[in-house]
Amino acid sequence: MAARWMTQVAIGLALLVCAMSCHSGETLQTKPDEPAAPFVPGSSAITGTIKYDGAVPEFLKVPIDTSAVPDCAAHRTTPLYREDLVLGEGQALANVIVHITSGLPKRAYPVPTEPVELTQAGCQYAPHVFCIRVGQPLKVLNPEPMMHNVNANGKANSPFNMSMVSSVKEKSVEFDRPEFVVPFKCDVHPWMNAYCAVMDHPFFAVTGKDGKFTIANLDAGTYDIEAWHEALGVQKAKLQVAKDETKTIDFTFTKPSK
Amino acid sequence: MIHMPGLPFLASKDGATIDFSLLLIHLLMLAMLLAWGAVFVIILARFRRSRHPKAEYAGIKTRLAGWAEAGVVVAEAAMLVGISIPFWATRVNAVPGADQQPVEVRVVAQQYVWNVHYPGPDGKFGRTNALLVDDKAGNPVGLDRNDPAAKDDVIAVNQLHLPVNRPVIVHLTSKDVIHSFALPELRVKRDAIPGMTVDVPFTPTVTTAQFRNELKAEATRSYSEKPGGLADQLAAIDKRDYEIACAQMCGLAHYRMRGTLVVQTQDEFQKWLKEQSLRSSVVEETW
Amino acid sequence: MTSHSPSLPSKAERNPAAFSFRAALVSTDHKVIGILYGVTALTFLLTGFLIMMLMRWQLAYPGRALPGASALFGSNSARMPGGVMVPEFYYQLGAMHGTIMVFLAIVPLLVGAFGTYLVPLQLGAPNTAFPRLTRLGYWSYLAGGVVWLSSFALPGGAAQSGWTSYPPLSIIAGHGQTFWLIGMILIIVSSIAGAINMIVTIIQLRVIGLTYMRLPFFVWSQLVTAFLLLLAFPPLGAAGILQLMDRVVDTSFFLPSGLVVSGAALTANVGGQTIPRGGGSALLWQHLFWFLAHPEVYVLVLPAMGMVAEILANNARKPLWGYKSMVYGTIFLGVMSMLVWAHHMFLTGMGTVITAFFQATTMIVSIPSIIVLTALLASLWGGAIRFNTPMLFALAFLPMFGIGGLTGLPLGLAVTDIHLHDTYYVIDHFHYIVVCGTLSAIFGGIYYWFPKVTGRAMNERLGRIHFWSSLVLLNCIFMPMFIQGMAGVSRRLYDGGLSYAHAQPVLKLNVFITHAAFALALAQIPFIVNLLWSLRRGPRVEANPWQATTLEWAAASPPLAQGNFETPPVAHRGPCEYSVPGKDKDYTPQWEQ
Repeated sequence: MAARWMTQVAIGLALLVCAMSCHSGETLQTKPDEPAAPFVPGSSAITGTIKYDGAVPEFLKVPIDTSAVPDCAAHRTTPLYREDLVLGEGQALANVIVHITSGLPKRAYPVPTEPVELTQAGCQYAPHVFCIRVGQPLKVLNPEPMMHNVNANGKANSPFNMSMVSSVKEKSVEFDRPEFVVPFKCDVHPWMNAYCAVMDHPFFAVTGKDGKFTIANLDAGTYDIEAWHEALGVQKAKLQVAKDETKTIDFTFTKPSK
Repeated sequence: MIHMPGLPFLASKDGATIDFSLLLIHLLMLAMLLAWGAVFVIILARFRRSRHPKAEYAGIKTRLAGWAEAGVVVAEAAMLVGISIPFWATRVNAVPGADQQPVEVRVVAQQYVWNVHYPGPDGKFGRTNALLVDDKAGNPVGLDRNDPAAKDDVIAVNQLHLPVNRPVIVHLTSKDVIHSFALPELRVKRDAIPGMTVDVPFTPTVTTAQFRNELKAEATRSYSEKPGGLADQLAAIDKRDYEIACAQMCGLAHYRMRGTLVVQTQDEFQKWLKEQSLRSSVVEETW
Repeated sequence: MTSHSPSLPSKAERNPAAFSFRAALVSTDHKVIGILYGVTALTFLLTGFLIMMLMRWQLAYPGRALPGASALFGSNSARMPGGVMVPEFYYQLGAMHGTIMVFLAIVPLLVGAFGTYLVPLQLGAPNTAFPRLTRLGYWSYLAGGVVWLSSFALPGGAAQSGWTSYPPLSIIAGHGQTFWLIGMILIIVSSIAGAINMIVTIIQLRVIGLTYMRLPFFVWSQLVTAFLLLLAFPPLGAAGILQLMDRVVDTSFFLPSGLVVSGAALTANVGGQTIPRGGGSALLWQHLFWFLAHPEVYVLVLPAMGMVAEILANNARKPLWGYKSMVYGTIFLGVMSMLVWAHHMFLTGMGTVITAFFQATTMIVSIPSIIVLTALLASLWGGAIRFNTPMLFALAFLPMFGIGGLTGLPLGLAVTDIHLHDTYYVIDHFHYIVVCGTLSAIFGGIYYWFPKVTGRAMNERLGRIHFWSSLVLLNCIFMPMFIQGMAGVSRRLYDGGLSYAHAQPVLKLNVFITHAAFALALAQIPFIVNLLWSLRRGPRVEANPWQATTLEWAAASPPLAQGNFETPPVAHRGPCEYSVPGKDKDYTPQWEQ
C-alpha cells in the first residue's frame, strides 16, 4: 500500500522533471538515421570581395558616449565608435558573414578543438562578428580588471547570461545547435554588442577590412550562398562550381531604404 | 534641534519631514523598549527562584499595562494621522502644478542603467516605441525621431542633472524588470515598474558643489589631527556625487546599477541641457 | 534523514519494534512524522546557514577568494571560479537562503515538528484526525525541498530572483526558477494538507473536559496558524501556477506590454509566428505573493509565542497572565494579518487612500502583538523563576521579538518607509523576529520537549554555553545592520555596497558582521554535540520531568507508539495551574482529579 503510494509520487515527480527538461529547447534533436560519410576536403572554392555603395551616415562618425559607465574610460586611449559599418580601402565592407546555405552533401565535418576567442578589451567585443562550429569551444576573455556580463540571447540554443567579474579572466562556452545568428550583449556596458553564427559545417567566412572572403575545400556542385550583414541585410546567390575551379562572386551592399 | 543619527546627508525639501518622522518613531520605540526592558530586568532580578522561592498564583493587578498600550495606540495614531497620511497626500502622491514651473524628466530603468529623457526646450516629450529601442545607437528609450516633439529631446545615460530649488517631477518607468529608483541623499525612493509610469515629485535644495563643500568641512573637522589622510579624503570628495541607487533586485549586475545625480544652479543646468541637445541632434539619424 | 536513527536504542527498549527507519518511511504516526519533520528541517536549517556563510564571506571581502572554495567547487567552476563567487551564484544563494529558511526550516520546525508532535499529545488524542494526510504533508514537503536543492545542479543554477520571485525578472530567469515554482507548489500542498489536519484535529479530538478555554496556549497558536496557512496559501498556489505558465507556455499573466529585455523586444512563438508578449501586470504577482507572505510572517511567529508561553509558565511556576486576552489577541492578530499585505508595496506607486488603509491596518496589527507580549511579561511577575536552558531561550525571545516588532513600526509607516524600504533595516527587522525571536523559541522548545520525545534529558552546561554565545553573537550580527540600513545601504548587493559612495562609511561593519556570523556557526557546535550525545547518553527522565501541567506530560517519555496514552486522560482544569493556593505541590496537572 505504502510502497504503491510512494511509487506514484516518484512517477509524478519524474513526469514533472521530464516536462520541464523537454521545454528547454525547441524540440529534442532526432538522431540521424545513418552515420554520415566522413569528410574529404574538395578542391573547389568560392571567393570574392564585398563592397559598400553609398555615403557613410553621419551618426557613425560620432564617438559613443561612454561616460555613463566611468570604469571603461581608464582602459581606453582612443574613442569608441559603433561597428555597424566597418569599411576598409575602396569601400570594402568588413564583418560580413558569407556562408553556404544549401547544396552541401551530408558529411561528418570534423569540429575544430581549438577555441574561438572573443575578447572584451576596452569595453568592446573583438571580433565584432564571428562564426563558430556546433560543439567548438568559445573562449571569452576579460583582460582588464573590470566586470562584464555576457548575455547571449540564442533562440535554438539555450540563452545564457554569465557574469565575468574582474578576477575571472576567461570563460569557455559551447553551442549545441546551429543558429544564425546569436546576438551577444553586455548589459553593464549597453553599447557592447557582437554577433555569432553557429554553423554545422565549415563552409563560411567573415570578411575583414579588405572585404575579401574565400570558402575553400568544396566539392564540385551547385550551391546557395548567402552574405549577411548586421545592418545592411542579406544577399543571396546560386552558383555552380566545377572540380578544381575557384569561382569568384562579389556582393555590393547599399544603405537599406526606410 | 536633534537629528536622527546615522542618516545620510540631507539635500531635499521634503526629506526633513521624513528625517523628523524617523526621529519621532525611533524615540517612541526607544521609550517602549526602555520601559518594557526595565520591567523585564526588574522581574528577572526580583522573581528569581533563589530570591522568591514561592510563586504567587494570582496575577499582578495593574492598569499600567493597559495605559501603556493605550499610550502606544495614541502615539501611533498621531504619527499616522498627523504626519504620514498628510505627507503622502501632499508630497508623495501629489505632483506640483504648472504654476510652480516644475522640471519634468522621464527616467526609464533597464538592466543595468538609468536612462534619462528630457523633453528639451519645447517642454514636450517625444513619442516612444519599444520597437525603436536601440542601445548601441544611443536610443535606449525608443524615441521616435519622426515625431516633431522628439526633435529637441535629450537622452542621457546614468546621469541625471537637475536645477536646485525647483520642483522636479520624475516620470518613472522601466523597460524590462522592476527596479527601484533611490536617491539616498534626497530621501527619494520609488519602484520603477514596467508597464506603468509613476510620477515622483521632489525638490533638491543643495547643489552638488555645496554638498561637496559641506562634506569637506565635515572631513576637515573630524580629521584635523591627521593631515596626511585629509588630502586624500578631500580629493575623493571632489569626485563624490549624489547617487542614484537601484534598491530592487534586478539581475546579476543589480549591485552596480549606479547612476549619478548632479544638482546645479539654474544657469548651469540650462547650459548642460543645451550641450546635450546639440549632441543628440547629431545622433538623430539612424539606419 | 538517517541521523534520527541514534534515537533508536531508547525508543526500541521502551516500545519494542516500534521505531525503525523502514517503518518511519511509511508511518502515519504523528510522533514519527513530527520527528522526521524535525530532523529534516534542522538539516535544512543548517543548509540555509551554510549558504548564508558563503554570502557573508563575499559581503565582507568582495572579490576575494574564499579559502578552500577552489577545492570544494573546483578552481574552474561556474559558481566560484578561482574561489571568487560570481554574482549569479550570490543571487542564487540569496534566493535559496530565504526560501529554504522560511519554507523548509522555520515553518516546518514550528508547524511540522512541534505542531504535529505536540498538538495531539496536548489534546490527549491518540493521533491526528487524518494520519495519512499527516504523511502526505511530510513527503510532499520533502519532495519540494529535494526539487529546490537539486536545482543548484542545473546548468545556470538555482532560482536567483530573490525568495519573493518578482516578475518579470523571475520570468526571464533560467530554469532554476521553474524548479522553484514546482517546489513551491509541493510545499503548498504540504501546508494545506497539514493545516486542514491540524484544524480538524484540534476541533474534533480534544479529550473529555478539554474545552476551548482549557486548551494550552500553544494549541491555540497552532489553530490560528493553521487557519492562516489554509487561507493564505491557495492564492500563492494560483499565482505560482500562473507564473509557471508564463515561463513554460509563454503566457503573459505577469508581463506588461512593451517589454524590451537586453535590447530585444520580448516575444512568444505561437504557431510558428512571433508575436510580442504583454498585456499582463507585474504588480499582480506582488499582491498575490504578499497576500500569502504576510500571514506567513505570523505563521513564523505565533507558534513560537505558543511555545514560549508554555515554557515561561512552567518555569515561572505561575499561570499565564490574561490567558483569555492572549487567546483573543492571537485570533485578532490572525484576522488582521490577512489585511496588511500591501504594506510591502508602499513604493510601487500606491495612492493616498490605499496607503492610508494599509498603514492603518499595520498599526492596528501591532496592538495585539503588544498585548500578547505584555501578557507574557506580566506572567513572570510574582513567579519563582528557574533559569534552566529552555527558560533562558524563552526569556530571550521576549526582548528579541520586541526589537523585531518595534523596528517594524518605521517600516509600516509609509513616510519613514520611503527611506528604509529595501535597505538592510528591512533585513534586520525580520531577522530579529525570525532568527533572534522565533529561532530562540525553537531552541527553547527543543531543550524543553526533548525529554518527552526521547526519554532523556539534554545537558544543561552545554545548553548554557549554546545560549549565551548565540545570544551575544546574534546581536553582534544584527545590531550593526540597523546602522547600515539607516545609512541607506540597499539590500541584495553582491559587493555589500562597495560600488556606492554613500555606503562607504558603514562598509567596515560588514567584516565585523561576517566574523560574528562565523563565530555563531561555532557556537552551534555545543548544541549539535549535546543533541547527539543526549540521544544516547543523556540521563533517563520520568514522564513529567519539568513538573508541568499540560496533557503531553501525562504520557510516558517517550509516549506509547500506539495511541500515546495508556488510558485516555481527562482534562479537569485549565492548562497552566501552577502554585495553586492550598495544594501541597506547586503544579496541578490538567489530568489529575
